[in-house]
Amino acid sequence: MLLAVAVLPAVYLVVTSLTPFQLTTPGSATDFSSPLRNYGLLPGDPRFVNSLWVQAKLSCWGVLFQVLLGMLLALLLNVPSRFVEFARTFFLIPMVLPPIVVAVIWKLIYTPDISPLYYAAQALHFTMPALTSSVDFALTAIVIADTWEWMPFTFLMVLAALQTIPDEYSEAALVDGANTLQIFWYVTLPFITPILVISGMFRLIDSVKAFPLIFLLTSGGPGTVTEVTNYYAYLLAFDTNEIGYSSAVTVVMLLLVAGISLGLVWMGRRREAMG
Amino acid sequence: MNAPSARKATPGRLAAIIVTLLILLSPFLWLLQMSFKTNDQILQFPPPLIFTPTLEHYAALWHSAFSASFVNSLLSASLSTALALLFGVPAAYALSRWAGRGKHALSFAILVTRMAPPIAFTIPFFLFYRWIGLLDTITGLVLVYTSFNLPLVIWMMQPFFDTIPVSLEEAALVDGARTRTVFTKIVLPMVTPGIAATAILCFLYAWNDFFFALILTRTNARTAPVAVVNFMNYEGWEWGKIAAGGSLVMAPVLIFSLAVRRYLVSGLTAGAVKG
Repeated sequence: MLLAVAVLPAVYLVVTSLTPFQLTTPGSATDFSSPLRNYGLLPGDPRFVNSLWVQAKLSCWGVLFQVLLGMLLALLLNVPSRFVEFARTFFLIPMVLPPIVVAVIWKLIYTPDISPLYYAAQALHFTMPALTSSVDFALTAIVIADTWEWMPFTFLMVLAALQTIPDEYSEAALVDGANTLQIFWYVTLPFITPILVISGMFRLIDSVKAFPLIFLLTSGGPGTVTEVTNYYAYLLAFDTNEIGYSSAVTVVMLLLVAGISLGLVWMGRRREAMG
Repeated sequence: MNAPSARKATPGRLAAIIVTLLILLSPFLWLLQMSFKTNDQILQFPPPLIFTPTLEHYAALWHSAFSASFVNSLLSASLSTALALLFGVPAAYALSRWAGRGKHALSFAILVTRMAPPIAFTIPFFLFYRWIGLLDTITGLVLVYTSFNLPLVIWMMQPFFDTIPVSLEEAALVDGARTRTVFTKIVLPMVTPGIAATAILCFLYAWNDFFFALILTRTNARTAPVAVVNFMNYEGWEWGKIAAGGSLVMAPVLIFSLAVRRYLVSGLTAGAVKG
């Protein structure tokens, strides 16, 4: 039953990917005459190749910022205080908001006429470039919004890890004359490195889900600057009606995500084994 | 300067926490304040920070098709939550008592359903629904959300059942109670807090969904997140309505998140730690 939820759609997806299925072409859903045609087209499809590259850039920068900022935030908030404990919940708000509301919020920030960001720039006599419609800045704009939304996740994970560190360790280091930075580098960081890696890995795998942000902020544009694979697959299936080809794109994307996940787990195991 | 590893709630650190929180939440607060402004005030420069709040946008939404979408969201989220609990809670109990057989399949299902990009499921669901006529129906949405929440319910509930000593049930059986009575009268009341927290997480998942609703509904079953986006149309963006609609969509999320703070963490990171 549980497997059915996960496996049946996957099987259906793979079957569809072997056909030239278009909703407008009768019989195309069961045409298995050239099953690998879609997969053969992929390497020569510049939009597909570009979308993988865009996704890689988005994921890498997003994960980097989320892990770093989440860690800094966790360090700042790791204090035993009733008030701070209460305040922590509010730091989680961006992550629990409906993703489409997050996208609406950033649409607001990136729309010059009504944006507080552009107001501030105007008041300071600074000309703010159009972020979401500029080839140079569009992907950065997505990364910023994605970081805002998901930084609370890494914050949460790192905070949990920080709270397992016994106070005695840093106190002992303090007695030995270590300064703040040294304590962080030699005591705290080794302790939280595994959780930094794990939360980064989960954000990396999850980063293919930035759909609402891209849908609302840039629609993949300008051109294909922010067109990630997920969005390209969506356009193919529900905009240009190429359901069979879109399925093939999705299957390849799934295999890549699964491959990266397995690779990361394997690396984690090896690290553990090496001690 | 405060030592990040020295865990003290100094005034300086508290101030830093408050300032960080304000910066982090300012995009979200901007949307909220905008929903209470008149259209003129929204476009005014510099933006008025002190103004008499108006409810005109909320009133306009109440009288528009948006209210129907809101009801659709409520219906599909609560029905799917109820169904997932109905099947998931007994399943979790059974898994817990059968010494954890099936745990492996469960982790797998959780991982796949939570981490695979939604497009991988939407294409199969879309084709299947088109075939059996479930497109643009609440039933269709409820089925999708239920199948995605079921693994989460089992995953979250199993540890709750694990903590109940089997001897307690055996005592009731010796006293002549039936298995069914033991479950409903003794076991269930003990896990009520867990059920409540799980229910809210399921509700939020369905409530927050944008992608499935975008693809699987058109007009009849359109949900609130999709309706908000429809205020951004070619004739121009109705920012007042967008802000008010966005605020309404995030209201239940904020209320529930505060209510289940303690369980929020395990739900949001489901699969991340144990998987």
